[in-house]
Amino acid sequence: MFNVTFYLRRLHSLCGLLAVGGFLLEHIFTNAKVLGGPALFNKAVDELAAIPPEIMLPLEIVAVAAPFLFHGVYGIYIALQARNNPENYCYVKNWQFSLQRWTAWYLLLFLIWHVFYLRILVKGGGTHISYQLLLSYFSNPVFWVLYLLGMCAAIFHFCNGISTFCMTWGIAKGPRIQMVINAGCIALCAVLCLVTLAFMASYLL
Amino acid sequence: MAEQKTVTFIIERQDGPKEKRYTQEFDVPYRPSLNVVAALMEIQKNPVTRDGKRVAPVVWECNCLEKVCGACMMVINGKAQQACCALIDNLKQPIHLAPARTFPVIRDLLIDRSVMFESLKRIQGWVNVDGTWDVKDAPRQNPYTAQTAYEISHCMTCGCCLEACPNVGPQSDFMGPAPIVQAYLFNLHPLGEYDKPKRLETLMQKGGITSCGNSQNCVQVCPKNIKLTTYLAQLNRDVNKQALKNIFNH
Amino acid sequence: MAKSKIVVVGGGLSGLMATLKICEAGGEVDLFSYCPVKRSHSLCAQGGINACMDTKGEHDSIYEHFDDTVYGGDFLADQTAVKGMCEAAPKLIRMFDRMGVPFTRTAEGVLDLRNFGGQKNKRTVFAGSTTGQQLLYALDEQVRKWEVKGGVTKYEFWEFIKVIKNKEGVCRGIVAQNMNSMEIKAFRADTVILATGGPGQVFGRCTASTICNGSAVSAVYQQGAHIANPEFIQIHPTAIPGSDKNRLMSEACRGEGGRIWVYKDGKPWYFLEEMFPAYGNLVPRDVASRAIYDVCVNQHLGINGENRVYLDLSHIPAEYLERKLGGILEMYSEFMGADPRKVPMEIYPSVHYSMGGIWVDRKHNTNVPGLMASGECDYQYHGANRLGANSLLSAAYSGTISGPEAMHWAKEGEKGSALTDAELEAARQECVNDFENILTMHGEENAHRLHHELGDLMNQYVTIERVNKDLDYCFEEVKKILARWNNIGVTDHSHWANQEAMFVRQLRNMILYALAITKAARMRDESRGAHFKREFPTRDDEHFLKTTIVDYDPKTEEPQITYIDFDHSLIKPRPRNYAVAKKE
Repeated sequence: MFNVTFYLRRLHSLCGLLAVGGFLLEHIFTNAKVLGGPALFNKAVDELAAIPPEIMLPLEIVAVAAPFLFHGVYGIYIALQARNNPENYCYVKNWQFSLQRWTAWYLLLFLIWHVFYLRILVKGGGTHISYQLLLSYFSNPVFWVLYLLGMCAAIFHFCNGISTFCMTWGIAKGPRIQMVINAGCIALCAVLCLVTLAFMASYLL
Repeated sequence: MAEQKTVTFIIERQDGPKEKRYTQEFDVPYRPSLNVVAALMEIQKNPVTRDGKRVAPVVWECNCLEKVCGACMMVINGKAQQACCALIDNLKQPIHLAPARTFPVIRDLLIDRSVMFESLKRIQGWVNVDGTWDVKDAPRQNPYTAQTAYEISHCMTCGCCLEACPNVGPQSDFMGPAPIVQAYLFNLHPLGEYDKPKRLETLMQKGGITSCGNSQNCVQVCPKNIKLTTYLAQLNRDVNKQALKNIFNH
Repeated sequence: MAKSKIVVVGGGLSGLMATLKICEAGGEVDLFSYCPVKRSHSLCAQGGINACMDTKGEHDSIYEHFDDTVYGGDFLADQTAVKGMCEAAPKLIRMFDRMGVPFTRTAEGVLDLRNFGGQKNKRTVFAGSTTGQQLLYALDEQVRKWEVKGGVTKYEFWEFIKVIKNKEGVCRGIVAQNMNSMEIKAFRADTVILATGGPGQVFGRCTASTICNGSAVSAVYQQGAHIANPEFIQIHPTAIPGSDKNRLMSEACRGEGGRIWVYKDGKPWYFLEEMFPAYGNLVPRDVASRAIYDVCVNQHLGINGENRVYLDLSHIPAEYLERKLGGILEMYSEFMGADPRKVPMEIYPSVHYSMGGIWVDRKHNTNVPGLMASGECDYQYHGANRLGANSLLSAAYSGTISGPEAMHWAKEGEKGSALTDAELEAARQECVNDFENILTMHGEENAHRLHHELGDLMNQYVTIERVNKDLDYCFEEVKKILARWNNIGVTDHSHWANQEAMFVRQLRNMILYALAITKAARMRDESRGAHFKREFPTRDDEHFLKTTIVDYDPKTEEPQITYIDFDHSLIKPRPRNYAVAKKE
């Protein structure tokens, strides 16, 4: 018998960690270059833009859009199966569990907005993405806050996802190793959030 | 005479599965080492609410009162636990009692946990012995493995872990930590191991181990301190291996 | 040919064992239980199960086990039956082992054995301190397998009300009630096996579960089944008294150096050590119970005037206690909120087990044809006193006898005519009427308080030390309680999960059973095993090496006592004296 549920769930986990997670890291890395000055950032964006669309577009669809869609849609199904209860069972892992789902809901809306506006409307409309464009975009403090929250939500969702991944794939078995990995993931989350805060702050200065 | 110290209970009641829920408050005389079941028994003897109304005694389930039968699980001050060993001295007052609504409520604090026993059927929770007759010697067992089995075999199907698990409930088909970890128990036995692939297949189906969301509440609330998350992780490892076998062996 | 249909009432160790045997013989079982069978009282047995495995180089033998059991039971058990049980024990253990019971093992992976009271050799197989739980689960799992295969239909949360007999007086079915929907239904059966456990709740607070009320036993007693030896009630000396129940505190506490004392003239008085200098705190169960009883009841020296004494471990290093008694001590702190490593525990003897029960022959048939009894609810195997770790054995073993015999009766017994629909309906209607009457009771008495009073009476007069004049008084008082039962008022008049109304019905059965125990105790003018009378301090084999038979007189509702002979031909009765045996 072919266990659809099992393979879908494992695929969801893999997509989340490799494709979506990888893309998130790339985002943070590229965006963090703004810390080295607008020129560095623009150069990085230009390099990406220089990849011919015959390569970039399929890559975007197969490695980014499809996994995102699957992870998102199946994720909705998963999130709907939970009845979060951290108010009664206020343990760290349970808070993480709830946050994983709350961040997911936020990310769902955020990403629709983010992708629709920046990738499809702006970039798809032929406008070149640059530091200057983002600077004017983030001059709206509401956008800036929503973007910062979006980034932090994505980072948390990713880092907590690693911890859960280790459990789901049977990598971390005992309570001690699970705790160590979880602590590592939280630390990673904190570092990435700080980096994000730093480059986002550069738009305010 | 000094005034008798009392304990106040706020009990969520419901006259039948489809009836509306309501709460009633009761005062029970305090005494040292009073537990929730003993207090409910006091209410049976004098079923009068705080405002002096004579009502039907509260309905709940209990048997052994020694924390081995698993019958008296209920939600006490928001947490699923066995009522027989919930000492009043360790609880914040007034004490709130509610049925474990992960399961269908029959009446008051009495719930229907038959779904757990059905899950035990699904995971084939038994060693498939030929019969009760004597067949010479039983196999020897590694005493350390037997110790692990002993720990898991304490599971009394009380349902605390299901009640605490955010992924178990009417909204989902997840069978919950307890029955899943029981599959591991039988996989550990030298004869039970023969049916290990069958059990793992079941765990890969809908409502099986894949629905575990790693909230880890189960291991926190288990009254028997079974290391549920450890065995869930081990089973995850086992089903992944089984999945690879399924892909490459067929 | 239609499959034989057997009704098994009770899903503890014995009921489940019988169920398995019936399924294997091709029968169909309707299994009735108050609760999911996995929550039956067999769970509560801790220590272990006796079987001569002889894996400790002690040259243990089945004969020794047999002799210890008969001797421990003060020669009141049917010896042929006991011999059969001891012979079957090792096979049963191997069966449980194959089923996956996580027995405690030695370093080389074979079953470990431990010592237990009343036995010189290591003979007790155990699974940590939860042997009963593990054995019950193993059978529960096997029965679940048969449930899936289709041999067993479980009726969990159904209460047995009574048996149905045909014109010839043969038991051909039962009436039972769904405890949620309150539906009362009659069921046909070729044979009925009762495996409903002990009557602990007759004593109110005891070490038994709340479901062990003896109600089913009392029901068939009122329908003509003999009760045998009900006066033999085992008292465990060290239990933690509680308002909800008395929780067992293992004998191991005394074994590891625990001391029992009370305050006398402001100073600790280690009365066991003073009364029995040779054995001190390690005297046998009945002796310890009697001494504690004497100190509390006759000398009024219990803690704060209550019936409690100290069991003190606080002088023993905490590390040693942790290693030897860890789990047990945790239980005390869990339920009492005090740490026994630091403060003495408060304990008192408690009703623990009933050696007596429904009279059965060696095949577990009762005197009512078609009705069988098995497990603690029968009287076989333990005589006047049960050895530790023999209860799990007798429960499991009796199931291996009653199951096949039920099939044998179903196929070849003189069952007489089958029940007609009208007979079934009449039996059902009678129970419905009784239940409806309970729902309309509007008297003054609260059933649970009445039960409490019954328990107080029975605990005070019919436990450790029995005095004829007190037993007479108790009997009259219990009769008054029976009369007051009619004046019960129920507050719950609903037809849905009405636990109060069901309890009222059970209570009447308990009261009638209490009368049987009290009367049987009154009539046995000797001291034997668990039955002790200061007026008759010795065993009287000339008059009382006999089985007590109690019959119900429907006119007076009172028990009638007669005595019958039994088989004690294999081991000649000799005086029971543990002091001598221990000196060897």
